[in-house]
Amino acid sequence: MMTKTNDVLIVGGGIAGIQASLDLAEMGIRVHLVEKLPSIGGKMAQLDKTFPTNDCAI
Amino acid sequence: MLDVGRHPNISLLAYSEVESVKGRAGDFKVTVRRKRRYVEEDRCTGCGACTEKCPTIVPDAFNQGLGNRKAIYSYFAQGIPSTHTIDPDFCRQIKGKKCGICEKTCQAKAINFDQKDRIIELNVGAVILAAGYDVFDPSMIPEFRYAQITNVVTALEFERLLSASGPTAGHLDRPSDRAVAAEIERMEKEITKSQRMLEKFEKKYEEASAQFYDNFQKSRFQDDEDRLKWAEKYASHRAIVDSLDALKEKTASFTVAKRLAFIQCVGSRDFRFYPFCSGYCCMHSIKEAIIAQEHEPETTSTIFGMDIRAVGKGFEEYKVRGGNHSNISYVRGRVSEIMEGADHNPVVIYEDTRERQVKNEAFDMVILATACVPTKGIVDLANIFGIELDAYNFIKTDPLSPVDTTVPGIFVCGCAQSPMDVPESVAQASSAAERAAEIVAQADVEEAVAL
Repeated sequence: MMTKTNDVLIVGGGIAGIQASLDLAEMGIRVHLVEKLPSIGGKMAQLDKTFPTNDCAI
Repeated sequence: MLDVGRHPNISLLAYSEVESVKGRAGDFKVTVRRKRRYVEEDRCTGCGACTEKCPTIVPDAFNQGLGNRKAIYSYFAQGIPSTHTIDPDFCRQIKGKKCGICEKTCQAKAINFDQKDRIIELNVGAVILAAGYDVFDPSMIPEFRYAQITNVVTALEFERLLSASGPTAGHLDRPSDRAVAAEIERMEKEITKSQRMLEKFEKKYEEASAQFYDNFQKSRFQDDEDRLKWAEKYASHRAIVDSLDALKEKTASFTVAKRLAFIQCVGSRDFRFYPFCSGYCCMHSIKEAIIAQEHEPETTSTIFGMDIRAVGKGFEEYKVRGGNHSNISYVRGRVSEIMEGADHNPVVIYEDTRERQVKNEAFDMVILATACVPTKGIVDLANIFGIELDAYNFIKTDPLSPVDTTVPGIFVCGCAQSPMDVPESVAQASSAAERAAEIVAQADVEEAVAL
């Protein structure tokens, strides 16, 4: 029988990768999040505030 | 971000890259290279003592090169994981010079110069690609003189200047003024150094440098090699001191940038580069103008664009609010050229299409709303995963299944698929997560049936 696994790989730790990781993790699915830079956050972490509410990005 | 680091179901593989992928939906075998940080992840507490002591200064990529960091660094202050990383391109020890200060400083004994890359194998049922995007390089548009006029910046650079955690602590100091300030600092260091050298000579010959130089110029001691060096040193010292004085005069005209111009569609909706609309830049410029005015109430902003695309919940209201309360004026027209005026102020030449007139106006700073373009590594990534890209090199999807790539079991979300803003990225990410969960759940059921 072929080994089937129920983990998910996510490539990229920006806002999209972070959101997808958290959604899957909350469903009880194990996630491997690969990010090429030393820390996750991506471009969004570089933003000061976000529109249209001027909320803090991080 | 913090939640990702803490969640028991998420294993965070930062500073890592996918090397190869085999298999199919429900059963992928993935090889991941964990790049060496020269710092042990399980030991580093992220205290930052090493960074404080590190003698090597490097331009900070997180601040778009506007600030500096050390050769051992955490990517940004609140970064997850907080593990520090040594930059092998700059670290003295790794470059073969004598250093190792961080190793001596680290109380957790986390520094390991002999660390090797590690290869790990993962078995997964589904993959989500959220590889992101790059910012268009505006130096490809020569008429905007991005690299030549220091006070012309990109929207992301401006974002760092506005940020309280950025290189200017949120003060809108003009880049040209910052360059002068940095030059003054560099010169002052050099002067202290040469001062020390001169003092040595003064001690040796028991004579003040100025007095010695006077005598030297009256053709005394001309054949004494040591004194010749002294004279040379003193001459170059005087030259730096004089140019420093001239630079210091310039500091009187330092100003905070209060007249801002935002230029839309830099690289996008431009048939020389990318014909598509990047989607978020209109709102991004409005946001930056509003925040700048919040920092400094006298700030006025002009947004130059073909049209302002405020499509989204609450976006149009945000645009109107910017015009009414944040001194933003919207000018319909494309900018043909940016010139450098007096005091490094950029002068924008544009056609006001409402008045049918070609005008020019000087600003303190110009901000270019640069296009969202496919990230550099996307072609390699597509080859690794065997997926197709579209004509621009974004990941190919079908309009009716916008998160499915051309390979079953591999999904995409965010700007790797097409340009989009934060709310859209988040929505698409949740959608991709659901699609991946479907595959994984199916694998679960099949396994149960087989048993």
